[in-house]
Amino acid sequence: MSAVRTANVADIEAEIKTQMCGSSERMTVRRKLLLAIVAALLAVAAPAQSPLSDSPNRSITHGAAVQYLFPEQVTIPAGKPSLVALHFQIAQGFHINSNKPKEDFLIPTVFSIPAASGVALRSAAYPDGTDITLPLDPGTRLSVYTGEFTIETRLVAERGNHLVQASLRYQACDKNACMPPKTITVPIDVIGQ
Amino acid sequence: MKRNTLVLGITLLLLAVFAWAGWANWEYRKQAAEKRLAMAEKAELIPAGGDANVPVFVSPLMNKPAPNFTLENLNGQRISLASYKGKAVLINFWATWCGPCKLETPWLVELRNQYAPQGFEVLGISTEGDDLAADDKAGWNRDKGAIAAFVEQNHVPYPILINGDSLSKPYGGLDEMPTSYFVDRNGNVVAAVLGLTSKADIESNIRKSLGAGK
Repeated sequence: MSAVRTANVADIEAEIKTQMCGSSERMTVRRKLLLAIVAALLAVAAPAQSPLSDSPNRSITHGAAVQYLFPEQVTIPAGKPSLVALHFQIAQGFHINSNKPKEDFLIPTVFSIPAASGVALRSAAYPDGTDITLPLDPGTRLSVYTGEFTIETRLVAERGNHLVQASLRYQACDKNACMPPKTITVPIDVIGQ
Repeated sequence: MKRNTLVLGITLLLLAVFAWAGWANWEYRKQAAEKRLAMAEKAELIPAGGDANVPVFVSPLMNKPAPNFTLENLNGQRISLASYKGKAVLINFWATWCGPCKLETPWLVELRNQYAPQGFEVLGISTEGDDLAADDKAGWNRDKGAIAAFVEQNHVPYPILINGDSLSKPYGGLDEMPTSYFVDRNGNVVAAVLGLTSKADIESNIRKSLGAGK
């Protein structure tokens, strides 16, 4: 009886061991399965989280050909005309008409500040354009800006802090084609002290 | 038994989540594809394989029917592309502020007069630029005046239509001028060119649109 009991106990222990082992193996298999499912889910869901992942080739001409560089903030004496130099950059391969293009039909580059912004544009001195001719039209000379250019403005600010949304209107071309005239915002934080 | 039921339940739940994720992903891809199609297909400049500095104009309208339109000419008459059915047509988007457009216009005039007897026409479509508001009457009148002066100066014999910006979407964005679409007698786009090209290239595309080969 005792032997039977012992045998039974041994069997039960063995069974428990086997069960534990099996359970552990099943746990591992289950865990692997779960991990595989999670990984698959992540893989399937990932593109939905990244709309750019399969975006088509983008046009190289979309967007602005001119970027405002600096300054973002200037402090000038309130009520007193002050010189502020504004720096811009033109995308490589493009040119824009200078402030004084050689032909009437060409759109000049013009900087402006909206009225009632707390800051008045007393004057703007534009750089001289560079004379260029295009390969397909060697007979015509154009007055243009390329690369970086600076407009020397004379601003008069009221006392206080003014976030001015100034504008630059320009019309850009490359050597074969022209982009429509565009007006970009030139944000400048002008502090009149 | 209970454990089996639990495992089965979890598996079914996971399968359901998996199915949902698959459906959501399919839906996303479908919407993305529709968005791309609806952009009408935004024409693109893609750097050419050989010389990265020379982009190639890739128009999704190639070998597809040219989208129909009806626009006014300078006299207010409405002219539609559909009325040129059976003819080869060069749809030339240009602008008064565009130097390269002015350079190619005399070539277009010459080629139009040369090939008109074979059933060829040019439709010049003026694009004003995105900063001319629809309600800016003075601006539109100024623009019309500049167009009329240009037409007269260049003895342009073909119709000049205005408000080309309204065709921006169906015609690939019209991001740069000049942009030309060569349409064959069946109304299909057989060539698309962005920017100034040579007179020989234009003529070659006209012949293509007429079905005369190169």
